[in-house]
Amino acid sequence: MKLNKRVVLSVAIAAILSACSAAPPRNESLETARAMVPQVEQSPRAGVAAMDISNARKSLEAANRLAEAKGKQADIEYEANNAVTSAQIANEKILTAQANEQIANGTAQRQAVLLQARERESQRSADQASASAQRVDSLEAQLADLKVQKTERGLVLTLGDVLFDTGQATLKSGAYGTLDRLATALRDKSGRKVLIEGHTDNVGSDESNQGLSERRAQSVQSALMQRDVARSQITAMGKGENFPIASNDSADGRQSNRRVELIFTEDQTRVAADQP
Amino acid sequence: MKYRMKYRATRPVRNAVALALGVSILFGSLSAYGSNASDLAKERVAQSDTSVEQARQTLGKSEHGTVELQQARDKLDAAKSALAKKDWKGAERAAAQAHLFAELAVAKSQSADARKSADEVLASLETLRQETERNTPTQR
Repeated sequence: MKLNKRVVLSVAIAAILSACSAAPPRNESLETARAMVPQVEQSPRAGVAAMDISNARKSLEAANRLAEAKGKQADIEYEANNAVTSAQIANEKILTAQANEQIANGTAQRQAVLLQARERESQRSADQASASAQRVDSLEAQLADLKVQKTERGLVLTLGDVLFDTGQATLKSGAYGTLDRLATALRDKSGRKVLIEGHTDNVGSDESNQGLSERRAQSVQSALMQRDVARSQITAMGKGENFPIASNDSADGRQSNRRVELIFTEDQTRVAADQP
Repeated sequence: MKYRMKYRATRPVRNAVALALGVSILFGSLSAYGSNASDLAKERVAQSDTSVEQARQTLGKSEHGTVELQQARDKLDAAKSALAKKDWKGAERAAAQAHLFAELAVAKSQSADARKSADEVLASLETLRQETERNTPTQR
């Protein structure tokens, strides 16, 4: 008991001395080994350095036994130093494993990011494609219930004579709903163009028919422009009596011929080609 | 029965032979221990020589682990001079230390390489993330 106290005291003095002076305490290696070995043993990646950790543990235990048995300082230090070096080797191997895991994870994540970006990119072009398809669809759908015909020239909507005051270019209020929807479809996409053509029957002089067809086309144009459609999207012209779609011999036929046709196009290349 | 009688008669002789044999084994093993100690030390030093040379080749021009490699060389030199002085125990110990330092040198160099690669991978991943976020921002 007395001896133990003396040991404790001398260790305390040694510790104080070591704290004050630069000279290392005699059991520095053993203390280092005692601190380091459990550290590597407790590492979650201890498995990658099992051999080195086992060597470190054996050397540390040998050093501890020698220290307990008051063995030679050189022997204690030899074992303790070996324990420290083995623990250091284990530590480096653990760090290597850690770095390799990061490399593997990083590479996998890199792949994931690339894949994600590619998916996002293709999703975006798919979205764009479906959006533009949808727009064409919606244009057709919108205009479908307005008696739109799909022709070589594009989608053709015919505003019948009944939508105009008799012999006049003034649109009746019955045309407003149709015009609102046309304006919406045109405002939707500036690439859409509309060609407005006025037509008449063969009753009356050519000049008066030409004039009426022009004024009716222009009145549709102004109605669209009042609804915020850009002027650049609209072309209006009068075609007079020269393009009947029915016989002018019957009243019904003549009524069919008195019309304004709106021809829609949405062809980007044609729009581009239109520009000089 | 006759056989047994003969056996019993020779028992003291057998004991003497056993004693002689035991003594000779003891001496033999002692002398064998002497030669084993030197052989073992020489073998260990030779092994450590190989370890140090391998570590030198593994490290190449790498800066990492050079301090430990030098420590391994110093221990190997110490082991060789201990061999010359027939200090078998000293030689074996120094050789063992040289071997450990050589291994530590290799482990340090490898972990530094792995760390460098990992940092590069992580940095390039970060760059890639920023780029893709810029090019195709997360939508919705």
